[in-house]
Amino acid sequence: MLCEFCKRNEAIVHLIKVVNGKTERLNLCINCLKEVDILQSDELLSDLNAILEKILQIDIKVSDKKQEGKIFNSTVNFNDFLPVNDKENDLANNSNKKCSVCGFDLKTIKATGKVGCENCYNVFRTDLTPILNKIHAGTKHIGKIPIKTSKAAKLVKEIRDLEYKLKQEVMVENFEEAAKLRDTIKKLKKRLSIGKK
Amino acid sequence: MSQNNQVILSTRVRVSRNLTGYKFNSVSTNLEKKEILNLVKSIFFDNNKNSDFEFYNISRLSKIQRQFFLERHILSPEMTYKLNFKGLILKKSKKSLDEVLSILINEEDHLKIQSIVAGLDIEKAYKNVVVMEKLLERRLKFAYDKDFGYLTSSPVNLGTALRISIAVHIPAIIISGKVEEFIKKLNKIGCMVKGFLGENSEVIGNILLVANQMSLGKYEKQFIEEMNAICLNIIDEEKEALEELKKDIPLIVEDSVMRSYGILTNARLLSYYEAIDFISMINLGIDLGLIKDVKPFNLYNLINILGDSNLIINFKLKLEPDSDELDKVRMDVVREKLAIKKLKK
Repeated sequence: MLCEFCKRNEAIVHLIKVVNGKTERLNLCINCLKEVDILQSDELLSDLNAILEKILQIDIKVSDKKQEGKIFNSTVNFNDFLPVNDKENDLANNSNKKCSVCGFDLKTIKATGKVGCENCYNVFRTDLTPILNKIHAGTKHIGKIPIKTSKAAKLVKEIRDLEYKLKQEVMVENFEEAAKLRDTIKKLKKRLSIGKK
Repeated sequence: MSQNNQVILSTRVRVSRNLTGYKFNSVSTNLEKKEILNLVKSIFFDNNKNSDFEFYNISRLSKIQRQFFLERHILSPEMTYKLNFKGLILKKSKKSLDEVLSILINEEDHLKIQSIVAGLDIEKAYKNVVVMEKLLERRLKFAYDKDFGYLTSSPVNLGTALRISIAVHIPAIIISGKVEEFIKKLNKIGCMVKGFLGENSEVIGNILLVANQMSLGKYEKQFIEEMNAICLNIIDEEKEALEELKKDIPLIVEDSVMRSYGILTNARLLSYYEAIDFISMINLGIDLGLIKDVKPFNLYNLINILGDSNLIINFKLKLEPDSDELDKVRMDVVREKLAIKKLKK
């Protein structure tokens, strides 16, 4: 059974709190147990009474995973969108790729539903894109961009905004306006590819 | 008491941001978290700026204070364990804290900027968030990718990293047995739905939380407009369900409403979830014309002030009260707010 906090180490401490007939469960590995605010020093771990006293103060609730009569598609889980048939997109088996910054591989991303750092999105771009297409409305960001970002990113944003406007002009048949936009887009795309070289 | 306000209780808009150069929070080291916390704090409060905001180091809050914020949906459950280097920047408010403007530091992502407003007003909440982001963005570099947008710990939050969550109160739809279909329709149009209070699988007080599933591939204003349209539809649907009920009120509905009224007039103790359930039924009773002598009340405000820690802090009760004491105070507060007289013995 994996630790419920880090989802990486084996859980060796099982905390079960029963109050007024209501059960709350928490399964942790030793590292995460140490990180819970109240249990900090190693000495504490050797005094069972002290541990029990502290543990009763933990105010964490972990809901029972078996949800009977589940009618809620509550929070979206990344894992719900992973390919069931692991033939082509075999996330688990693509174990060669590792992020050089945080050490995450696809297996860990699958297990935790999260990536470790920004670099992961570069390393696993091709693996993640098809999954993101299922979760989201597309995989090309339009919308706000940070003030502090590269010229290339700002150019991409400008181009995408114009492409969006182009679609709208075409829809209302403003073809003259659309043509102007298309020309501007061409120029900007050229500038972008020059910048890349 | 405007019926509309009691359907859409609150609007919450949040954006997630991560700082470039630091690992994300499932693997960031304590040192990184500490740096991020101190960096954000110093940039925000530099030169005595933003003195209308308060900074809280989560690990230095008392358990009651943390619970207080949790009950108010200012902190998420994730902020109440593994407390190291988690921070909260919160706008000070003389009023009841029904409207919230805050930044969570080192929760799931480095930064979560959020605004909660009462009723339905996504534009306002989003504007608040943008203003907050502007206070930081000139001096912080956010992790960003031209295709994936703002980079987040969970791929589910990428792109605009915008989550709009609306608390909807739909007693008529639920009591008419229409809620499963209602939720399925929402799922089909890209909304996630869960219970607003309690564990995800329960619906306390007939209140659901509806949120957008997607955050990448459209403009912020598109997500906002779509969610707004969805909310207006929800208001109409609840109205329709109510009108249907009014035509011929089923005895079982009348019974539920009047039982709630009976308890609120007679009981001595009231636990939190019970309170919200009964108050929702009273609200339905008023809308159906079954109950007349109750003062108009603000359901959203009541949800916020009736939690255990909120009662302890607002009524200056002793820090470890018996649950009976809390339940008694809660009963008194509810009766006072609804102007329900306790029946004499």
